[in-house]
Amino acid sequence: MLVIRRRAGESVLIGDEIEIEVLDVAGTQVKIGISAPRDVLILRREVRVTAEQNELASRSLPFASLVNLFEKMKHSPQAPETRGDKGR
Amino acid sequence: MTTIQTRYFGAVPEEVGLSIEFPAGLPAFERERRFLAIEHPKTGPLILLQSMTTRDLCFLALPVAAVEPAYRLQMSPEDMKAIGVDESAMSSGDSLAVLAFVVVEPDGRISANLMAPIVVNRENRCAVQSVRWDGVYAHDHHLSLTASGLAGEETACS
Repeated sequence: MLVIRRRAGESVLIGDEIEIEVLDVAGTQVKIGISAPRDVLILRREVRVTAEQNELASRSLPFASLVNLFEKMKHSPQAPETRGDKGR
Repeated sequence: MTTIQTRYFGAVPEEVGLSIEFPAGLPAFERERRFLAIEHPKTGPLILLQSMTTRDLCFLALPVAAVEPAYRLQMSPEDMKAIGVDESAMSSGDSLAVLAFVVVEPDGRISANLMAPIVVNRENRCAVQSVRWDGVYAHDHHLSLTASGLAGEETACS
């Protein structure tokens, strides 16, 4: 990882087409402006992590696994109440 | 009567569940906008989020309160606007349903994504997966199903 210190108003260039500018520094938060071609994806890291989790979550399971899983949940003493119980 | 093709139940009438709409889709599934939220007696508190356009896409979700009873929701202004709610809706809590997607790992462990809950506005059935920025909750909060009940476990992230 290349580590660079920048102040507000200073910028970093990546390749020929990407520029990252520090717009403002306020307390612990930095406001960053990113100029890049339209086809370059820019994401908060957490959004990429969520995308990966969603891919994992989308894998199909046999219905029997679901039933098995939730038999365990229902029979445990602190099992969450199902929809019918409290009308939530 | 509209019929929906589902991953687990074959063809079902739309009325068996509640249809919800994600105006912006979901990370990695940006084109998936409409889902049917289905609950089934055999699968208890689990909510199945069945895509209304892709038969084999069906997420498993739990109410966040079932995973973390003291869960505190935080949403960005953009996410609140996407589903038409404001700060007062967040504090009263009745107008929102907050769910976490569940991942079942190959070794049988299950985890819930508390970092990016699904927030549904009950009034207009609009939903968003609201990705937190504050690092308070884990994207893979492990759940244990033991004799003593459903419990969250501490992970390295939490």
